Amino acid sequence: MREIIALARKDLKLLLRDKTGAFFVFFFPLIFAVFFGVIFSGGGGGTSAIPVALIDEDSTEASRAFAEILINSGELEILKTDRATAEDLVRRGKQTAFIVLPDCFGQRRENVFYGDAAIIEIGLDPSRKAEAAMLQGLLTGHYMKGFMTMFTDPTAARDQMQTGLDQIRELTGDDREQFVDLERFLVKLDTAFAELITAEKDSAAIDSMKTQSAETGWQPIKFAVSEVTLQRDGPKNSFEVSFPQALIWAMIGCAAAFGISLVVERTHGTLVRLRVMPIKLSQILAGKGLACFGAIVVVGTMLFVIFTIFFNVQAGSILFFIMALASSAICFVGIMMLLSVLGKTEASAGGIGWAALLIMAMLGGGMIPLFVMPSWIRGFSSISPVKWAVLALEGAVWRGFTLEMMLQHCGILVGIGVILFIIGARVFKSTAH
Amino acid sequence: MLKLDNVHKSFGKLVAVNGVSLEIKPGEVFGLLGPNGAGKTTTVNMAVGLLEPDQGTVSINSNLSPLEPATRRKIGVAPQALALYGELTGHENLTFYGKLQGLTGKKLNERVDWALDFVQLKDRQKDRVDTYSGGMQRRLNLAVAVLQDPQLLLLDEPTVGVDPQSRNAIFDNIESLRGKGRAILYTTHYMEEAQRLCDHVGIMDQGKLLALDTVDGLITSYGGKDIIIAELESGEVKIETNDPVAELEKLQKQGKLLRFRLERSNLENVFLSLTGRQLRD
Repeated sequence: MREIIALARKDLKLLLRDKTGAFFVFFFPLIFAVFFGVIFSGGGGGTSAIPVALIDEDSTEASRAFAEILINSGELEILKTDRATAEDLVRRGKQTAFIVLPDCFGQRRENVFYGDAAIIEIGLDPSRKAEAAMLQGLLTGHYMKGFMTMFTDPTAARDQMQTGLDQIRELTGDDREQFVDLERFLVKLDTAFAELITAEKDSAAIDSMKTQSAETGWQPIKFAVSEVTLQRDGPKNSFEVSFPQALIWAMIGCAAAFGISLVVERTHGTLVRLRVMPIKLSQILAGKGLACFGAIVVVGTMLFVIFTIFFNVQAGSILFFIMALASSAICFVGIMMLLSVLGKTEASAGGIGWAALLIMAMLGGGMIPLFVMPSWIRGFSSISPVKWAVLALEGAVWRGFTLEMMLQHCGILVGIGVILFIIGARVFKSTAH
Repeated sequence: MLKLDNVHKSFGKLVAVNGVSLEIKPGEVFGLLGPNGAGKTTTVNMAVGLLEPDQGTVSINSNLSPLEPATRRKIGVAPQALALYGELTGHENLTFYGKLQGLTGKKLNERVDWALDFVQLKDRQKDRVDTYSGGMQRRLNLAVAVLQDPQLLLLDEPTVGVDPQSRNAIFDNIESLRGKGRAILYTTHYMEEAQRLCDHVGIMDQGKLLALDTVDGLITSYGGKDIIIAELESGEVKIETNDPVAELEKLQKQGKLLRFRLERSNLENVFLSLTGRQLRD
């Protein structure tokens, strides 16, 4: 095994030092997928705003004002709708989340200093923890902005406090007793605002007030998060379509690069030296296969991270994605082995290899997504290993494959890979002399 | 150390090696001399286990077959084609091949350092091999062959395309290895190299080993007589002789010799005598 690892490390090192090879293995797939992702999304004018459905069940002036703040924020792409529609959109992945401004939202928002805090309901898939946190942060920020507007207008703040004081003073007995301290505080605050008005809005005083508010742990808003499990029946954005294609091109690049490198070993004499080493030919081929497999897995993982972070691509199941990537890698290792025996020189192997791979890619949905192809081509495309790799990857990302479906597709890929590897290895062995 | 006993190898209708037998002992440099296509490389490939003879046997240390990977650990090979990775440095090439030879850790580092020192490439060890001159690449090719300190070395045309400085360095390396008791099979089509380095030489042509002896033995047996070209008062004469000193003394005593030139017989003459062709035809 140590020898096989040494052979694989050598091949990966050679690939990294070959700028053209590295370009086709990593950068070309990335450029391809981003380019087609942008085209399919309808141009480059997209937004990074989070798509959110908004349900205003309160329908008060305050809730409508808050909705306006959210719409104008630019950080959220708001779609106003009803609760049932919103839940359905979130379930189908068309919207990231829904936000509900429930009954009493407006009233509680106005009762700044007493009573229950306003509640905002958020509904989204439980796996979207990052989005949930981000949404809560954004909503809190916009909610607080409303207060800051109020505090920066001392006259409005005094009116608000006066309303509060009036309501406290209407209470009697024990009820009144509970709010004695708050009443004293509001009276002092009222005096302070009166001085502020006199001092024509002293900004330093307002800053001081903001700090005090933060330190008291005062909570003006609460979130009620409900889970809406994502039901995946289609790509939620164009990059989920172009991402599997990027992986396919990375695998094609790896298969071509390592297939040609075996031919180079033969024409440059290094294969002779490897064969006089105390190792078997099968170990030499295993080393090449391991290098190809490793390169595909590393590049696939890097592309996955990039597309997750920058293009909002999410695997429905990480385990399924790993299965799809690994089985596709095995399939392309087999293709690599077969390519290495197609030509006797680097030029012929490269030409034949790329031609074969391009045909496979065209038929299998590596260039144009399978679902936009005519049905007769889709049937014909089953002969291309690329189709099975695309389907397995799409199954893991947005097609919502079951375990049984994943196993079926991954099994086909592994089977193709093993058969092609055996054929290629046998031909290689018979022509190695 | 290495024994080939009546080995035959054909590729289709082409008979590449036809009944070759030879034996190389420790501390001996055995030269296989012949033109391109004579069957030298096929013989080396059978000796190292790359090819299996159609007939006959190849054995290392009396009874080991080079077809076994473990036996190949005892053999170092410098193939005719430069078997190096140009994108890797000299050090990386040696480290990689060392790992395949089963070397690890401190031992691997020691052997890599020794091999680089042996072929005088230590100062270029961190440069990519594709920046080396042809001679330096040949020396690194030899360094890979001696990396695991093998008992038997098979050097297939190790000086092809090499500048005189590197060629002399390679000769020094080979003589040093012979001094350490290594058995060396050296194929070449340069008779000067065979004459300078080899203890025994086999003359090969069209797959057959035509003659096998020491250099002097071959010349004596097949090289013909030395030739004295003498300028006398009466004019120039050509005298073929087995004893040029005695012949010159005779001419001198007669007082007729003005000047002379001696053409010694060599392996070129041996080849011509054996095949009817020049070695470089």
